[in-house]
Amino acid sequence: MKIACCTLLCAASLLAFPAGILAADVSIDSSTYFGFARKDVTGAVKETLLPATQFLGLTVAGLGDGNLSLHLYGWGRTDLGDKSSSKAVSNDIASFNSDKSTGSLSYGYLQYRFNQANATVRGGRFSIHEGIANELVDGVSVRTDLPLGFGLSAFGGATVHTAKIYGENSDGKGDFLSGGRLNYRYGGLLEIGLSGVYETAAPKLVTRTAANYRRVGGDLWLTPVKAVDIIGHSSYNPETKQFADHSYLITFKPYQKLNLTGEFNQQRDQSFLYAWTMFSSSALNPNDKSTSYGGSASYEVSKNVEAAADYKHYSRERGTAERFGGDVRLNFQENSVRGGIGYHYLNAASGFAIGTNPSASYHELRCYVMHDTKGLFSAIDLLGNRFKEKIYNETNAWETTATLGYHITPTLALSGDVGYGRNPQFTEEVKGLLRVTYNFIGGKK
Amino acid sequence: MRTWKLLLPLLALAGLIGIIASCAQMKTVPGIPASHPETLAIGQQVSCAECHEDQQKGTMKAFNAFSHTRSFVKNHRFYAASDDRLCATCHKSSFCADCHTNKAEMKPSTRYGERPDREFQHRGNFITLHKIEGKLDPASCYRCHGRANNDRCVACHR
Repeated sequence: MKIACCTLLCAASLLAFPAGILAADVSIDSSTYFGFARKDVTGAVKETLLPATQFLGLTVAGLGDGNLSLHLYGWGRTDLGDKSSSKAVSNDIASFNSDKSTGSLSYGYLQYRFNQANATVRGGRFSIHEGIANELVDGVSVRTDLPLGFGLSAFGGATVHTAKIYGENSDGKGDFLSGGRLNYRYGGLLEIGLSGVYETAAPKLVTRTAANYRRVGGDLWLTPVKAVDIIGHSSYNPETKQFADHSYLITFKPYQKLNLTGEFNQQRDQSFLYAWTMFSSSALNPNDKSTSYGGSASYEVSKNVEAAADYKHYSRERGTAERFGGDVRLNFQENSVRGGIGYHYLNAASGFAIGTNPSASYHELRCYVMHDTKGLFSAIDLLGNRFKEKIYNETNAWETTATLGYHITPTLALSGDVGYGRNPQFTEEVKGLLRVTYNFIGGKK
Repeated sequence: MRTWKLLLPLLALAGLIGIIASCAQMKTVPGIPASHPETLAIGQQVSCAECHEDQQKGTMKAFNAFSHTRSFVKNHRFYAASDDRLCATCHKSSFCADCHTNKAEMKPSTRYGERPDREFQHRGNFITLHKIEGKLDPASCYRCHGRANNDRCVACHR
């Protein structure tokens, strides 16, 4: 991992090259962050965190016959102060899955895009979003449209493993993953898809229940009339022989300024969370269900003002809850000044509360203002929560962040954040961040 | 069983003919452009309807199906799952990887502190709130942190 970190940091030195010598179809995203945080954690020593993090993305298009492209993105971080990773609660956990220097390759793949039929072939590390399959693999994927409105995709490769679970020698995932999707589209009216994902057998675990990750499902997109859009999916877990989830959204836009939505989600807890090894979810009661439904409305009052309201009802074995609220967004001076203010209330039963609290309800208020000019940009963000019942003896939590930045060139910007907050978890939190971003887009356009 | 033994080669042959016929027709199947014809600046507020007003101009799906309304942004998982090629004409993979990745080093709301208008998850004091929200809707946690990006989760959830 340290090698990956060093590689990324070294690659950041590409910034030293003037953009002009780079090939025409190269684009680079580079963001360097120097962070500062002082945390006063309840029941633990104060921490001073000084992480230096480099995110780097590189895209090289137009290789070979012009249809081949290379895509790389990753990050590396080193701590100049206390360890920053996994320090959520106390020093006790810092020794697990954390290091003072680390990094990750988010994706890195070669892609060949054919001129017809949206056909692509990918090889390397990449994300898959195909129907119910939403995975990261080290492997190969192919996809193409077919005549008569059909389409086909398939992928396969090694599972990208993540952090080992405490007390175990693995993350609970199998080593090979494959899947695909077959879809049919009828013009701009309908698309239906059948998809599946299959992972080889989960490893045996010491203290947890191992569970194989396998899922099949179908997805739907339907526009019966121009103003109505229905989209969603259902999935089935062949391991539990039950439906895992249903998730559907309907959007109704009677005219340009008004947008109405309705949603319905239902999960069989055991079947949907089956392979969530961290919680041994395969051992959950197979009859437990989570259901939520709700709706939202947004209305463009004028060119400068948009108002929205939303409601959602939650139902689980442990109780019911509802969340409702709304917000207003404003913009002035041709979008150079933007702002928003919003309020939501979660009314939740004791079953959702922290510890033995009699209620999990809380109010949330948020407001922000942004100002952009050709050179300077700035923002202030304020977020506050008020709990119906005290949490760790605190009634309120709040955080405010102010940002000021300057575009040194159209591609290079320097900015900084300062933030202060108080909440039940960290009685006091002071944060600072220095950010250098470089976005160079080459190309023949 | 004997019927199946006879049928299988026939079905395989029919499938092969179907694949060959499909491949022959592939050149007639149009593709969407590799990238958006016009580059849009970061944070630029645009009205997509200016160009995508009707389906006569070549868009397969109705404009409402990919217009970036607030509900679209909030529910983009549905749209990405059925047609991420359309997303890729404007957004590079890194745009998605800012949040959806195997290991997210920094909360997106921290990384993009200058963009409070974006609907980032886990803003502010989420470390306390997740103890409520996780019980309320565990599926929403699982989608991102169930099989990936759970370094911080495993630190406490033992």
